[in-house]
Amino acid sequence: MNQIAFTSTVPVEIIIAARKIPVDLNNVFISLDRPQDLVAMAETAGYPRTTCGWIKGLYAAALSQKPEGLIAVMEGDCSNTQALMETLEIKGITTIPFAYPFDRDPESMELQIKKLCSYFGVELEQAEKVKKELDAVRALCLELDCLTWRENVVSGEENHLFLVNSSDFNGNPAEYAEKLEIFLEKAKRRAACPEPVRLAYIGVPPIFTDLYKTLSVLGARVVYNEVQRQFSMPFHTATLAEQYLAYTYPYGAFARLEDIKKEIAVRKVDGIIHYTQSFCYRQIEDIIYRDQLKLPFITLEGDQPGVLDARSRMRLEAFISMLK
Amino acid sequence: MLGIDLGSRNVKIVNVAAGTVKKKVIYDTIAFYRNFSRLDNGKMVIDWALLDLPEEPVIATGYGKMAVSLADARQIPEIQAHVTGAVYQSGHRDFTLVDIGGQDTKVVRVREGRAVDFRTNDRCASGSGRYLENMAGIIGIDADELGLYYEEPVLLNSTCAIFGETEIIARIIEGYSTERLAAGVNESLYRRLSPMLKQMKSELIILGGGGALNRALGRLINEDMRVKAEALPEPQFNGAIGCCVWGMDNAGKGGAA
Repeated sequence: MNQIAFTSTVPVEIIIAARKIPVDLNNVFISLDRPQDLVAMAETAGYPRTTCGWIKGLYAAALSQKPEGLIAVMEGDCSNTQALMETLEIKGITTIPFAYPFDRDPESMELQIKKLCSYFGVELEQAEKVKKELDAVRALCLELDCLTWRENVVSGEENHLFLVNSSDFNGNPAEYAEKLEIFLEKAKRRAACPEPVRLAYIGVPPIFTDLYKTLSVLGARVVYNEVQRQFSMPFHTATLAEQYLAYTYPYGAFARLEDIKKEIAVRKVDGIIHYTQSFCYRQIEDIIYRDQLKLPFITLEGDQPGVLDARSRMRLEAFISMLK
Repeated sequence: MLGIDLGSRNVKIVNVAAGTVKKKVIYDTIAFYRNFSRLDNGKMVIDWALLDLPEEPVIATGYGKMAVSLADARQIPEIQAHVTGAVYQSGHRDFTLVDIGGQDTKVVRVREGRAVDFRTNDRCASGSGRYLENMAGIIGIDADELGLYYEEPVLLNSTCAIFGETEIIARIIEGYSTERLAAGVNESLYRRLSPMLKQMKSELIILGGGGALNRALGRLINEDMRVKAEALPEPQFNGAIGCCVWGMDNAGKGGAA
């Protein structure tokens, strides 16, 4: 109770300002011991097998979580969200639409933020104040990221886990910050990791549970988690509207490319893993990334939650051995 | 030196001494695991004496090595094994290797003897060796005969290997000749392969794996892409040969045990 869930990263500041608990349903779904059970639940309800595993997971996670409200990202994520929202509505879940303006128009962004504020009965100033408080937590995320690629003392998986959880700060930003601070202190005392191959991971977070461990066994480490890093809002911005306009994920392949190109150059990456979800429109965008990013490139496809299949593992093994 | 390729359909073993292949054997995968191997402390131990093979340093590759690691063997990635074998067998250093195995197809661009990029088939096994075997069985011929036909193919459109079987049954009922049905299977194999092949294009295409025994495939590649396509002398043993060559190249560097 008192929880406000969401389907993809939204201005979490407004939820916190309304004294509600933010819950990223993606994290609820994938953190379960048996996330595949949620996919099965959605398929039993009638979700086609040929639909994104994340959407199915979100559907069942929303039903089991029973949040007070669900913010659905209707523009800036995928169109499956519309049917997701509708099928949850008939199950009695209150849904609140939110839209990132595709043209990155500041006025439209401000309007969306104000609408969300007014839904929760929050003044914009209160939400902006929460943003200032969260800036300090996000600075820790930035430090984590530097320790990953510059100092090589944080693993790709640790980086992934902390950054992916920065979308809702596990429902409690203060606790999240404390945990991260303790981790950073420990990490700073470590010796640098030896894996010779440096990889960029671009695309939505993986549905595979053992990807990072497998990469490490194969002698590679991820030094850039593109979308997870975006969740942590790694920009210096003055206002909420500015922050959510700088956030690249909702604004298409070209907005993301700009960030990816810059980061893979700075981080001295040897190769790129583009993760796409089966049945996702982003599999088409793969054409653009392959064309524009001039580094060895492998497209990895995931469908159901679980460990990597033998074929994907074989491909990763070949890719990494090619880079050595 | 022993090279072993633990494939999904067959296990291939090659024994190389003084630079020449002394012995090569091929077993059905399931029969091999049942009759010649056992698990010991979570590792697979092979009964070399029963196989009538000498106890020599072993280099392994293939899907099987992921399920269980082979005791006392060095393991190398599949694509590396196949590229090494193809460079050795063909004498070429710049080409595109097409390896059609039991369940998957790999297309690798090779430059100066090294893999520089690759594609693999998507999740469905249609367009792999198993698909060819099943389809040949339904038409009522063996895989060797299936590989002879390429003219006037019947259109087979299913993207799924199993639905493909249903589709070909419908074409049989419609009365198409065995030759045209077989040509249709080969053409559907090529259609699955061709986007990967065009992305990884070279002036020379080298065919390995069991699928290379299908002679129609080389012909279809040549007709459509206007490039030379040639099969390796020992396509099915290419991975195992690659293991041996890798082992010899890396002996003394921790390669051969």
